[in-house]
Amino acid sequence: MNKRQVVLESISALLIMLFLYASVSKFLDFQRFIGEMNNQPLPNSWTPFLVWTVPSLEIAISVALIFERTRMAGFIASLALMTLFTIYAAAILLHFFEYVPCSCGGVIRKLTWPQHLVFNLFFVGLSVAGIILQRRSSFHSISITKNSFV
Amino acid sequence: MKKIKLSIMTLAIALSIGGAFATSPRQSQDCQAATQYYYNGSVYVLAGKMGIDYLCATSSNICTYYKVGSTYVPCMNGVYCTQNCKTTTTPPKTKN
Repeated sequence: MNKRQVVLESISALLIMLFLYASVSKFLDFQRFIGEMNNQPLPNSWTPFLVWTVPSLEIAISVALIFERTRMAGFIASLALMTLFTIYAAAILLHFFEYVPCSCGGVIRKLTWPQHLVFNLFFVGLSVAGIILQRRSSFHSISITKNSFV
Repeated sequence: MKKIKLSIMTLAIALSIGGAFATSPRQSQDCQAATQYYYNGSVYVLAGKMGIDYLCATSSNICTYYKVGSTYVPCMNGVYCTQNCKTTTTPPKTKN
């Protein structure tokens, strides 16, 4: 296991921990999650859709990150989701919405909005690093396979 | 090599699921599961459902309380508001 692979495995593990923790926490306290989603400055009509899609997507990304074959897709999906969360946190901080909702309860939910933004940016960075390393690792393994045929 | 990969993944999954269970509030300890009240300056009034009847906007104040015996205990942080949450006044709510 070379250095790059160790880093790749660690990045995947960190993202899996984030997404699995977040999704399982939401499902464990689903009523509270619905209340918190309603408290967000988004239309309440979106809540039934969001309360199922967000944690389901998080679980799907975690599963994709576990397996080598689907890891690249997992990193890309993770980057997309974390970018969306980051844009939302930035929009709240920039008073883009009518009010700033409380970020209350839970462990990650105890973070303030600026802390949320920094936290999200860190995981956006990890996803980008994952994509770059995974691509390099794929190229590396392809060239090794090619060379072995020469 | 596969063994190391497997142990990293197993550890990550176990930690995240275990952590979620460990940090999720038990029903009896979850103040949000109890009836919520807000303080209108003189008395405590039934608040209703968060996100539907009222909103908690960000603040270090107390948004809602719950009742333990005859005492009102702080539950949600923030500012209780029902409409025009920028100015945090409390006329009837019109979100949506």
